Amino acid sequence: MKHLIKIKVNGADYELAVKPNNTLLDLLRDQLRLTGAKKGCGLGDCGACTVLLNGKAVNSCLVLAVEADGQSVMTIEGLAQGEELHPIQQAFVEKGAIQCGFCTPGMILRTKSFLDENPKPTEEEIKKALTGNLCRCTGYTKILESIETSKIYLKGDKPQKIEYQPQKSAMNLSVVGKRLPKIDAPDKATGRAIYTDDIVLPNMIYGKLLLSPLPHAKIKSINTEKAKALPGVKVILTGADVTDLTYGTSPPRYDENVLAKDKVRYVGDVVAAVAAIDEETCYKAIKLIEVEYEELPAVFDPMEAMKEGAPRLFDDKYENNINTRVDHHFGDIEKGFAEADHIKEARFVGNRTYQNPIEPHCAIAEWDRHGRVTLYTSTQVVHYVHHQLSRVLNLPLGNIRVIMNNCGGGFGAKAATNMLEILSILLSKKTGCPVKMRFNREEMYLYGRGRHKQYIDLKMGVKKDGTITAVKQKVILEGGAYSSFGVVTTYYAGSMLPTLYKFPNYKYDGYRVNTNLPPCGAFRGHGTPHPRFAFESLLSMIADDIGMDHIDIRLKNAMEPETRTCNDLEIHSCELKACLETVRKKSNWDKKKGKLPKGRGIGIGCGGFVSGAGYPIYRSQFPHSNAIIKVQEDGSKAVLFVGDADIGQGSDTVLAQAAAEAMGITLDRMSVVSADSDITPIGFGAYSSRVTLMGGNASKMAGEEVKTQLIATASNILNLPEDKIDAGNNKIFEKGNPNNFIPWEEVATAFFSQNGPLTGRGHYSPPEGLGGKYKGAAVGTSPAFSFSASVCEVEVDMETGKVKVVNFWDAHDCGTAINPMAVEGQVEGAVVMGMSETLLENEVFDSNGKMRNPDLHNYLIATSADVPTIESVIVDSYEPAGPFGAKEVGEGATLPVLGAIANAVADAIGVRVFELPITPEKVLNAIRSKTIKG
Amino acid sequence: MYLNNFTYHRPETLEEACKLLEQCKNGALIAGGTDVLVEIKKGLRHNDEIVSLKGIDELKLVSQNKSNLYIGAGVTHNQVKHSQVIKDKFPALIDAASNIGTEQIRNTATVGGNLCTGASCCDMAPVLIAYDAIVEIASSTKKRTVSLKDFFINHKETSLAKGEIMTKVIVPFPNQGVGVSFLKFGLREAASISVASVSVRINSDGNICTDSCVVIGAVAPTPRISLDAIEIINGEKVNEFINNSLVLKSIGEAAVKDALPIDDLRGSAEYRRNLVNSLTQRAIKIAAMRSTESFK
Repeated sequence: MKHLIKIKVNGADYELAVKPNNTLLDLLRDQLRLTGAKKGCGLGDCGACTVLLNGKAVNSCLVLAVEADGQSVMTIEGLAQGEELHPIQQAFVEKGAIQCGFCTPGMILRTKSFLDENPKPTEEEIKKALTGNLCRCTGYTKILESIETSKIYLKGDKPQKIEYQPQKSAMNLSVVGKRLPKIDAPDKATGRAIYTDDIVLPNMIYGKLLLSPLPHAKIKSINTEKAKALPGVKVILTGADVTDLTYGTSPPRYDENVLAKDKVRYVGDVVAAVAAIDEETCYKAIKLIEVEYEELPAVFDPMEAMKEGAPRLFDDKYENNINTRVDHHFGDIEKGFAEADHIKEARFVGNRTYQNPIEPHCAIAEWDRHGRVTLYTSTQVVHYVHHQLSRVLNLPLGNIRVIMNNCGGGFGAKAATNMLEILSILLSKKTGCPVKMRFNREEMYLYGRGRHKQYIDLKMGVKKDGTITAVKQKVILEGGAYSSFGVVTTYYAGSMLPTLYKFPNYKYDGYRVNTNLPPCGAFRGHGTPHPRFAFESLLSMIADDIGMDHIDIRLKNAMEPETRTCNDLEIHSCELKACLETVRKKSNWDKKKGKLPKGRGIGIGCGGFVSGAGYPIYRSQFPHSNAIIKVQEDGSKAVLFVGDADIGQGSDTVLAQAAAEAMGITLDRMSVVSADSDITPIGFGAYSSRVTLMGGNASKMAGEEVKTQLIATASNILNLPEDKIDAGNNKIFEKGNPNNFIPWEEVATAFFSQNGPLTGRGHYSPPEGLGGKYKGAAVGTSPAFSFSASVCEVEVDMETGKVKVVNFWDAHDCGTAINPMAVEGQVEGAVVMGMSETLLENEVFDSNGKMRNPDLHNYLIATSADVPTIESVIVDSYEPAGPFGAKEVGEGATLPVLGAIANAVADAIGVRVFELPITPEKVLNAIRSKTIKG
Repeated sequence: MYLNNFTYHRPETLEEACKLLEQCKNGALIAGGTDVLVEIKKGLRHNDEIVSLKGIDELKLVSQNKSNLYIGAGVTHNQVKHSQVIKDKFPALIDAASNIGTEQIRNTATVGGNLCTGASCCDMAPVLIAYDAIVEIASSTKKRTVSLKDFFINHKETSLAKGEIMTKVIVPFPNQGVGVSFLKFGLREAASISVASVSVRINSDGNICTDSCVVIGAVAPTPRISLDAIEIINGEKVNEFINNSLVLKSIGEAAVKDALPIDDLRGSAEYRRNLVNSLTQRAIKIAAMRSTESFK
């Protein structure tokens, strides 16, 4: 029975009929279509659905709509007055507090209720106030800053302008190198930004999945009769209804069925798909599907899985469940160790972590009557989804349109084609209705593709002066049930070690092993963070053994520009030494290292990553990034069309800055359309930290083409040769005599009038022939590499083992920072995510392979209260291969974090924890074991 | 993960609510709903009828008379946090209430809900027990009271019978000389479930302790009073707790003996014992200081 309620929302009175099981969030999103409140977890853990109920912040997912009867609600849509942003929104926009934007409405509303109650909070109060709103992108730092700024705005004052000293390489640039607010930030601050789940199409129905309850079993039969008979159910698909073609991420390992064909391989494997009039009916129908399984023995531990006679996940491939095997040897490892004065080895163990973007995956498919399908999806990689759909559906690319509107974070979780994308299309085709499918938080974990847990045996030899002579690494990666990105992960786990330090002799043995657990994939830093954690830990241990300072040993071996590594990677720009010197100075390292009281420690870690993979995921000759610029006929705006996706990292803004700089206009004259396969030229998307360099080059090239055409037009008007004319700051002017100019838009109008559309095209492909000739040499290649160093200071409670990260200093060589504020945002986000992974996160399974913590209540990620003071510095650097000298920051910034924290903890307690996460319990055990040993 | 449909009742009086609960075949009571709705969504429970306490205003009040504080069972944790009388007289209640869940949860979740869910990790129970709280329970025919320390039977099992509703928590105002503390250990700085918690009441005449209390939480199916620890405290000088680490150590160890912890996602039994030990010692210090300050 429905209840009639009266509710005031954003000042307007409504009388609505609600079902008892509708939540306030359902009411707002589905009935009133106020989609600013987001559904991140549905269980009151993430705070993305925060609204103000009678002025107080509540999780609208845990308030029954019927209980909001007679109450007053404010959503993000009610905060701004007309065009004018509310002071808090203004502060969030200006301070760069918004990345993917999915948590932003909740975060802003919580800030409002907090400042209403406490207009003059202390820093500590602010940090604690926001702990009910999880953010995975920003590291909270800029959010906390924006609350300070909000305080000032709310008082009616103006915040002080921050003087920013540009990098040397950006001195003569006018748009690139500037701390500019993101162009999409105002929409995200006001709840106007549309994410996939915010879209409702006419006649749209919903789809859900039946997941396997068993870790390993044969499917003997599936009976869908009862489920089909349930009123409201439209279609049910099982393995028998879908193609036999398997799909996946890496072409040599396409091993996933759209729906399980004959067996299931983990708890969460997809068995059937239901389409019905609403999600509730889907859930009910799923319960009515009868599946008869024959249970098979399962294996969860990779060491067990590799043994002779262990249960096999695939009968026809991956002998001993070894899904990928890498055997690399560069230089002469025996000789290298023979030359060493000191050799050390240790075993390090990583953790199984999940990206946890706050936005759950969602896809909406609409199959039209002309055999063409449109898919809206929350993805990092529009093109790869497009390509894979074409393969699996056996349709030409031209019959498929893939659109990403806004993406609420990815970090690798959305870097491949998922079953929602395929199944929503199949269900739409069958029913003739648009179909929306979305994961809940538990389904996200079970779909998986998080970080592989790695077991690392690392051995290193050094000379007395600290020079590394040899490195030997054996890694076993626990891969879960399917391949996903795993082949590449296995190569990355080895290939990135030689990029930071020079060593001539290196042996790497990698084994990726299938287990009956959710598949692992590519998570920020892809395969590299655990080996980097091991390497940075062992390097500091060796330094202690030979009595050398931890920073000195790194400087001794640090990578230098224009070096070819032992595994044939070409390093061009490299300022690792400058990064090390910067954090040494900023952290006051020399005064602190070895001199802090017990329970307090300081540690260093370094990192770096590719600025885009040198080769595509599947073979093609297409340029990796492409751009088109279309200038409005009156020259008032230039629209940049790029295929690469802004998933919150800010690429729309960064690419617009590159294009604007190239054209000679300001950023406010730019508009961006991205990630729509019909409208934008292909871009491989947001993975492998590639967009700034590759998309940036394509956008810059397109901008230059526009500029060249304008200069030709201006040459006639100004009566000057083309080489005497330049463009900048919305003017086309005589070089050396800028007072002789014509407004940019006038020239653009003249061009259009004479020639028709003013457009520019740009494309980027990495240099040909990157890398060596050995098997797997492609993985790790890139046009450019980033470098970074981090120092971390921790406080350890010696009685409970709890680690508090107090301070963090990071110096990053990202070449020219196209947008320094966005770079800081990436670094802060990476520091906090890395800290969260190092100290808190781990997926835990029971003895039957069922995940025990598939939520944000038991799988903890850092809150604002856990965040250290972060100081991030961008060092002077210029990368010739990058647009205006730029290279990556997003993934590389995670890499130094794990080792820096591990080293700081070891410094604080005098003993080392070798296994992630470094939980209070492990720390306490380590302290106790040391006390026992003396 | 969805809310199955149910019949929703919103009684206006306690009596009506009790009657409804008695009649329901498979009913659940909700106040804030932050536990019940999550459990329904996760499929951990199924209820065909929901009886909401939102319509019963008397449950939402914090009130007092000369000897007692009355916290309505429907009072939210943030109401507790912002109550002036609680701030003045029951600082440890503030310590507990302001660290439960998140701001959003504290605005919704109620003290009664926290207690009646009966979870072993409940934070309000140890501290209210330390304050000697009694709870009032109503049925359609009568009201009864029970000491909170006797309310908990097992993890998620309380002495509430079918048709009974907790109406209020009655907390006697502490005398001069009483100092109470509450400490919890969570895995992150905020919004985390207690891995262990301890509440201590030190009652002294300014010098010697009598009638003290140590309650440990999240380390047994229910909150537990450590009689051994209390025995060491009573008769001891308050100053000893501030200065003498040996006494503290022995109390910490005594409290550990009363813990019945399990291994779970948040920590092993052994680790929890360590926590009980150090939290107890720290909580005693704070309670002792508060006891001493009460004479100033």
